[in-house]
Amino acid sequence: MRILVVEDEHNLREQLVAQLKGEGFAVDAAVDGEEGLYYGREYEYDAAVVDLGLPKIDGIEMIKRLRDEQQGFPILVLTARGHWQDKVEGLEAGADDYLAKPFQMEELMARLNAVIRRSAGYASPVLSQGTLQLDTAKKEVRVEGAAIELTAYEYKVLEYLMLNPDRVVSKSELTDHLYEQDFDRDSNVIEVFVGRLRKKITPVDFIRTVRGQGYRFVTEAG
Amino acid sequence: MLALFLTGTGWVLDRAFTGSVVTGAEQQLRLVIYSLMGTVGEQGGRLTFNETLFEPRLSQPDSGLYARVTSDLGEQLWLSASAVTTAVNFPEIDYQPGSFVFVQTAEPTPRFHLSYTVIWEGVDTEQVVFSTATDQAPYLASINEFRRNLGLGLGAATAFFILAQLAALRWGLLPLRSMAGEVRELEAGERERLSSAYPNELKGLANNLDRFVAHEQSRRSRYRNALEDLAHSLKTPLAVIRNALLNDVPDKALLQEQLQRMETTVTHQLSKASATGPVVVGKAVVIDVLVRRLLRALEIAYADRNIKVIENLVPDLAAKGDERDFMEMLGNLLENAFKYTRSEVHISSFARTIETREFVCVCVADNGPGIPAAQRGDVLDRGRRLDEIQSGQGIGLAVVKELVSLYQGRLEIGAGPLGGAALTLMLPALS
Repeated sequence: MRILVVEDEHNLREQLVAQLKGEGFAVDAAVDGEEGLYYGREYEYDAAVVDLGLPKIDGIEMIKRLRDEQQGFPILVLTARGHWQDKVEGLEAGADDYLAKPFQMEELMARLNAVIRRSAGYASPVLSQGTLQLDTAKKEVRVEGAAIELTAYEYKVLEYLMLNPDRVVSKSELTDHLYEQDFDRDSNVIEVFVGRLRKKITPVDFIRTVRGQGYRFVTEAG
Repeated sequence: MLALFLTGTGWVLDRAFTGSVVTGAEQQLRLVIYSLMGTVGEQGGRLTFNETLFEPRLSQPDSGLYARVTSDLGEQLWLSASAVTTAVNFPEIDYQPGSFVFVQTAEPTPRFHLSYTVIWEGVDTEQVVFSTATDQAPYLASINEFRRNLGLGLGAATAFFILAQLAALRWGLLPLRSMAGEVRELEAGERERLSSAYPNELKGLANNLDRFVAHEQSRRSRYRNALEDLAHSLKTPLAVIRNALLNDVPDKALLQEQLQRMETTVTHQLSKASATGPVVVGKAVVIDVLVRRLLRALEIAYADRNIKVIENLVPDLAAKGDERDFMEMLGNLLENAFKYTRSEVHISSFARTIETREFVCVCVADNGPGIPAAQRGDVLDRGRRLDEIQSGQGIGLAVVKELVSLYQGRLEIGAGPLGGAALTLMLPALS
């Protein structure tokens, strides 16, 4: 998952970035609304965390412009004032949820995961497809009820594919969303992860290879 | 306006006077003609003139009054002595027997001329023309004299009117001036309210100003109290944290607890201080519009809960106050309902009269666990400090309670029809 963080306060931004990276997200950080808008336009994100009180272009304006340009990734707004006026305006501008400062990191992670899930069409934190279940809160995967061991990257690949079901996801899209920007794109490491992942979630073949294009997570897998 | 009126008056008077002077001149010339006709005799078919005239000025050369008698063939029968040395230039007249012809000439000297043509039987010439002329100078002098007097009179009247108007204005604005002075004193903190000695026209304004000032004062004191409370309740946990850090291994649980306490305090006291409170002037807040806006926002934030919302809102029901305050109250009530409900939130608004006072009420009910009866009192107890309230409904309700009392409204907590909590917010209606 690639997350955009737009926060002008240096310490909080660093904390957010460190926490998100620790949770396995790839993170880009912007220091003001202008930079945030640039990132939001140029890259594909799975979600954004946006402070409302930003220099240059304020958070509400930035969200409005992104939404006007059909950027649909879920957005979680942070507000320091905590007034309902701010929350309502943020949601009306196109945000998906709000969190008042000061907040607990656990709360932020839960809300962030929830907006990502919701935008992929899952109502519950447990993504369920047939016999396969992925618990986004516990970061746990079960096949026919039995927990299976996955490495952090295997988990990330599976989560991303499950959040983008029935759609061809290219290898470069996977690297874009799962790794930091300086990742070596020529490596065949993705193929290795997918290969191992397939074996672990057998017997059902959920992940199909689309020759020359990438992978597709099939929901109607037999 | 005044200048226009006086100019008009001056013009009309001037015209009337000039007209009467000219008429006077014509009358005088007419008299001269009649007298002249009276002195005319007849001898052998010719007219004779008596040189001893009734009007001495006709005998004095250059006197300003001239006369001439001619036949209809243009033959001069007689000329007054006054006209002998002066070129009078009697105008050529279209002879109409029995009629007077009055004309004014400008050259060589401005003059009035009056001529009269008669048919004189028994003389050689059948028609005889009597012509007279008089200099305009004396008449013009009297007109100028009149104009000078008129100008002086009107000027004096204008000055008087302007002065009177200024005086009236000054007198009329006296209460406003004294009000401005009192407002300055209010600003300087030298007085607390306006005096009551204002005329009826200004009483309303004075009362509104007083209410406004009182509102500002209470707002100021609320700020001050909130800041003092804030300082007080932040310093204690700060002291605890500082002391805890002296230990080599700080007690994490203790630090956590103190931070929690500071967080609660900051949220509470700041929202308390930033409340506007009842407004003196301002537009009404339309409840159903505001509630719907909040509901749309909450439905986005709680989209994955699939909460069924049933609205029963009276259209256009409004209360007077600050929209942000109302948003805080309703937002917190609604969010609590969304947060704690299992599946449904009912929201209704209605008007209610309690002890002759009219209230706008909003009831929010859910089917969550509800607030235990034992805790309801805690939430509503006025004497209780806000940061002591630690009920499951969290900080939100404490903020609502603070705002409600600011608006002299009520908040009722009960068990709702859905089995969960039902909170009713009652705010004084308009007027």
